[in-house]
Amino acid sequence: MSSVNFKSTRATQAATPITHSGGPVVTGTSVLGIKYKDGVMLAADCLASYGSLARFRDVDRLQPVGEHTVVGASGDIGDFQYVQDLLEKSMIHEFYTADGHALATPHIYSYLSRLMYQRRSQMNPLWNSYLVGGLNDSGEPFLGYIDLIGTTYQSSTIATGFGAYLAQPILRKAVEGRENEITEEEAIKIIDDCMRVLFYRDARSLNKFRRAKVTKEGVTVTEPYSLTTEWGFAENIIGYGA
Amino acid sequence: MHVRPSTHPTSQAKEAAFSPYEDHGGTNLAIAGPDYCLLASDTRQSNGYNINTRFAPKTFKLSNKSVLATAGCQPDCAMVTTRVKQSMLTYKHNHNKEMSTSAIAQMLSIMLYQRRFFPYYDFNILGGLDEDGKGCVYSYDAVGSYERVPCSAFGSASALIQPFLDNQVRNKNQLGKPKVTEFEPVTPLPLAEALRICKDSFTSATERDIYTGDYLQIFIITREGVEEQIHELKKD
Amino acid sequence: MLSEIVAQYTSEPTGYGAELTPGNFLARDAAKQFDSLSFDLPNAENPIDFLNTYTDVKSDNDNLIKLAHGTTTLAFKYAGGVVVAVDSRATQGSVIASQSVKKVIEINPYLLGTMAGGAADCFFWERELGRRCRLYELRNKERISVAAASKLLANMVYSYKGMGLSMGTMVSGWDKTGPNLFYVDNDGTRLKGNLFSVGSGATFAYGVLDTGYDHEMNKADAIDLGKRSIYHATHRDAYSGGYVRIYHINKEGWEFISLTDVDELHWQYADESRNRGA
Repeated sequence: MSSVNFKSTRATQAATPITHSGGPVVTGTSVLGIKYKDGVMLAADCLASYGSLARFRDVDRLQPVGEHTVVGASGDIGDFQYVQDLLEKSMIHEFYTADGHALATPHIYSYLSRLMYQRRSQMNPLWNSYLVGGLNDSGEPFLGYIDLIGTTYQSSTIATGFGAYLAQPILRKAVEGRENEITEEEAIKIIDDCMRVLFYRDARSLNKFRRAKVTKEGVTVTEPYSLTTEWGFAENIIGYGA
Repeated sequence: MHVRPSTHPTSQAKEAAFSPYEDHGGTNLAIAGPDYCLLASDTRQSNGYNINTRFAPKTFKLSNKSVLATAGCQPDCAMVTTRVKQSMLTYKHNHNKEMSTSAIAQMLSIMLYQRRFFPYYDFNILGGLDEDGKGCVYSYDAVGSYERVPCSAFGSASALIQPFLDNQVRNKNQLGKPKVTEFEPVTPLPLAEALRICKDSFTSATERDIYTGDYLQIFIITREGVEEQIHELKKD
Repeated sequence: MLSEIVAQYTSEPTGYGAELTPGNFLARDAAKQFDSLSFDLPNAENPIDFLNTYTDVKSDNDNLIKLAHGTTTLAFKYAGGVVVAVDSRATQGSVIASQSVKKVIEINPYLLGTMAGGAADCFFWERELGRRCRLYELRNKERISVAAASKLLANMVYSYKGMGLSMGTMVSGWDKTGPNLFYVDNDGTRLKGNLFSVGSGATFAYGVLDTGYDHEMNKADAIDLGKRSIYHATHRDAYSGGYVRIYHINKEGWEFISLTDVDELHWQYADESRNRGA
């Protein structure tokens, strides 16, 4: 019988995992994503926080991968950069075969989810939530989520982090059931409205965003831009939550 | 490796120790009949009070004779499903035949037990037809203890549904009705009746369990194969 | 060189072959995939504490994985052989997971095991025991003794001592030396004896059993005693219930005797005491 190889029963605190990445350090906040008529649209701000410190103010959290995919990351930026590295390596590796096949969105999604699950199973998670946007095998919009324990799901609207509370209800109201009607202009408006709300209420956000769209034509990521804000309402807010 | 000073800013904010498990909710149900097997699950995936998505199927067709329903931690459920499918494929290539439901049942048990010391957070129901063409339902705990039963409910609303099934499917505590003993492998219910009970179970569970709702996915396994139906559930 | 090639196409008789790696995964027979007893462990500082955090019923973890547990089993030797009696309830926390568990495991026609504690642990290890007993038979051209079988089981679980297995079992059967009964648990304890009861309802069962036990009693009385003992345990122990399942062992091997709803027994025994009073 092959015996179980386990380490000494050192009496430490109960069930402390051997943590390699002890927790998120430099972090990015919410990423939003919606499906619309022509494809998928994602947005994230440019801030990388160090705890409550707004540490880096020009970080790109939307990474185009291949022809028709964008990966948006929230959580630990260092872990994200490691994943960017892996993704780039995989794309190059696939390119070498020169068989005309490149990794498409569902493949990248699958790869990322297995990577995240493997790391959680080693008790050494990559401390991120990812949105993967792009097109599926039949060219329809694809939008999927992956988190640090390997949870996956697809939906026509997804928001990570604070966005799950603040933006997701707005996104669902605007998008659910209308995925095939929403034009690019309207999609931009929906996304911008949500990013504005997040900037108003998420203390770890920044009024400097990038937006990405994936359509049949490929991936476009905007230059950083800001939204107009109106703080006049603030003085009227009284009581709890002010 | 990162060594963080104890005064690190993020350590003051909420920093829960890493847990490899999360409960993503959802409910599964299965009823075995004389010549059919019925499996049903809702498609809501939740995380705490958030609904991740309204459509995340967690019940999968394995062959023309068997279907696997999983509930618990979604990544673990997905892993178990994938491994079962892989092994079934290998088996098919090696033996040139489809794995029987009872063989899958035993294999799944061993697969789960292999992770006795790092369990899959996954409560399975395997349903299908047995070697005689009778409906069969196998229900599991997380580490591979399993039993063939006439009906079973697992997941977030199992405590709501199982007693209802005991009463309606097994005629428990129903004086005057023919007793379906504990050890009967199938129920005598006709398919239409089982379907009705199944739908009622889910509409009721949706009313009282926040983790159950959105859509109801039903798999009906008969000699003809596997039929899949999708029904609406309340989305609140 | 040649031996390497031969090795590639040969599997060891025990089935304990190469480690399962992604590379050789698909090449392997599905049935052999799980042959080698190796278990995945969490990469935690202390895997045992990790397991307890997520599976111990006393843990207050949010993501508690409730494992099925079984309870109240008994077995005793008497002049006519061995009686094995068990209940049929499995609980996951406070939920009754099943009322129809088979807690008597038929290892082979001459050997029975009982299960108390973790249902999966009992199932898995007694199935493994069955496999090894069969191999013993094939290699030695004779049946394994109850003493040897129980020792196989005790040795197997002893190598996992302290890792959180939960198993309280009685291995009983008939061999060259006659009726035999052994208690084996997850600590590796192995005791030979005439009478055991295991599980949360064991104290109640012992009360009835010890009172009514007589080595020279007849088969019917012995079976009735087993049944009564389990019934009274199900009556007072919340984790026991369902049905009373009885097996009897003599030199011909084991024999299934009865399966009775405890509710039925309740009224039957109630009538008895009423009649006695009258």
